Amino acid sequence: MTFSWKRVNAIFQKDFKDFSRNLAVSIVVFLPLILAAVYGRMGLDTIQAHFMNINMTFAMVGTYVQCCLIAEEKEKNTLRGLMLSPASTLEILGGKSLLSFVLTIVIAFFCAYLSEYRPANIAIIATAIVISSVFFIGLGTLLGLIAKSVMESSVIVLPVIAVFTMGSFVTVWIEKYPVLQIVEYLPNIQLIDLATKVESGAGFGDVISNLAIILIWTVVVYILTVVVYKKRMVD
Amino acid sequence: MENAIEVKGLAKYYSNFKAIEDVQFEVKKGEIFGFLGPSGSGKTTTIKILTGQLNATEGEAFVFGESVSVLKNPTARKRFGVLTDNSGLYGRLSIIENLQLYCKLYDLPNSKVDEALDFVNLKEAGKKKISTLSKGMTQRVNLARAILHEPELLFLDEPTSALDPVNTLHIYNGLRALNNRGTTIFLTTHDMQEADVLCNRVAFLHKGKIQLLDKPGELKKQFADGTVTVELSNNEKIVLRKDSEGAEEMFQLMKENRVQTVHSNEPTLGDIFVKVTGGELV
Ligand SMILES: Nc1ncnc2c1ncn2[C@@H]1O[C@H](COP(=O)(O)OP(=O)(O)O)[C@@H](O)[C@H]1O
Ligand SMILES: [Mg+2]
Repeated sequence: MTFSWKRVNAIFQKDFKDFSRNLAVSIVVFLPLILAAVYGRMGLDTIQAHFMNINMTFAMVGTYVQCCLIAEEKEKNTLRGLMLSPASTLEILGGKSLLSFVLTIVIAFFCAYLSEYRPANIAIIATAIVISSVFFIGLGTLLGLIAKSVMESSVIVLPVIAVFTMGSFVTVWIEKYPVLQIVEYLPNIQLIDLATKVESGAGFGDVISNLAIILIWTVVVYILTVVVYKKRMVD
Repeated sequence: MENAIEVKGLAKYYSNFKAIEDVQFEVKKGEIFGFLGPSGSGKTTTIKILTGQLNATEGEAFVFGESVSVLKNPTARKRFGVLTDNSGLYGRLSIIENLQLYCKLYDLPNSKVDEALDFVNLKEAGKKKISTLSKGMTQRVNLARAILHEPELLFLDEPTSALDPVNTLHIYNGLRALNNRGTTIFLTTHDMQEADVLCNRVAFLHKGKIQLLDKPGELKKQFADGTVTVELSNNEKIVLRKDSEGAEEMFQLMKENRVQTVHSNEPTLGDIFVKVTGGELV
């Protein structure tokens, strides 16, 4: 498998130009910032509130934007062009994810800043946020590859976003309906759990299970993405 | 000499509809090979199989002696250029920006963009956004992208279908020059004239099967009906067989100074196609 940063970067730069001229999609990145600013003003200073913004960033900028970018490449047949070029699967998927990744990290940082979230252990939170971003972008790529058009992608992305951005308030329901226990293993719930532990002084060793679960989700989503991508190469 | 393309018993079924069936041919290195047929005859299906975009139901296809699955290897893809009717460009980017992306993907200097624009006669339009281009211009940009890296083997699926005559001729010259520098060209078209002026050999595809395969000149000889049309000085036209009887008659007419012109009755590729398929060309 070949890997050249030059090719990844070429796709990234192309995406950046394209995205900045695509107001309908690029406007979406401001939603989490507005929400965060409002929360900051209201003085909502709980982990729940901070992660509402951050999960919103993951959903809108990571998953939704990524899903639209991929679905558009498919609909306009430009993905076919990339597939027929000397760019490898890794370079194409990497290049196609880089813009969303940079945007997600930058917006998540500003959200935290605006809502005045100051984590007790920045290294753990940063690690968790990076892994989560990679997961949510992978989810967007997967949905974008499955969807037949940009229209369809923006429809199928919604329920998925709803599930993966649920706040930990749903855990209240778990006592009533034990089936919902599975919800606790969602990466977003794991992230909130991790952040809560960090505030009460947890170190890397204490949150390793949270990180591992998020990582497993990430690996699974990327395996599925590569499988669907390979199928899309011949259709 | 090694063949650029080799196809054996190729078939593609869409559920149970047979798009192509038992297709067999080879394309020699350095050739311009024409794959002719009316719309729906299976040209695009064949080109997609040859470029690894579609799996064949039956049969085998080889490029440069290796199974087309070699195209799954990114470095092998450098040897090919592809233009199909589903080639896409980035609408919000300019022509130059689109081509620059591909320069980087192919590891080429940006100067190749100018050469490619020259090839398709779009030098002045480079800064235009793709979304503002006409169909013909878009087709030319797609062609520019396909030849950007001067591939060893170029697949063109109806490359001039949306072009005006001037640009068509410009591109014919470009393709010939590219071919002279060593690029093998596999070209599909429903334009028999195009095949006649460009191709070293042609295959006639009809209802998913190859009906004929030869040099255009050979086909014309083979399907010549052995007659000439003589236009007399009184503008009357008569058809004479090219045998001794016809020669006798011609001799007489010429002696009487009644012949104005003599036209050969060589069939066009279009005539031959209609004859072979018993149908109209779409
Ligand atoms: N994805 C598909 N599903 C079903 N039938 C198809 C599909 N693609 C092409 N066909 C059919 O296969 C035949 C050959 O199509 P195609 O290769 O596109 O022909 P051409 O390029 O010569 O016009 C046509 O009858 C077409 O309707
Ligand atoms: Mg076609």
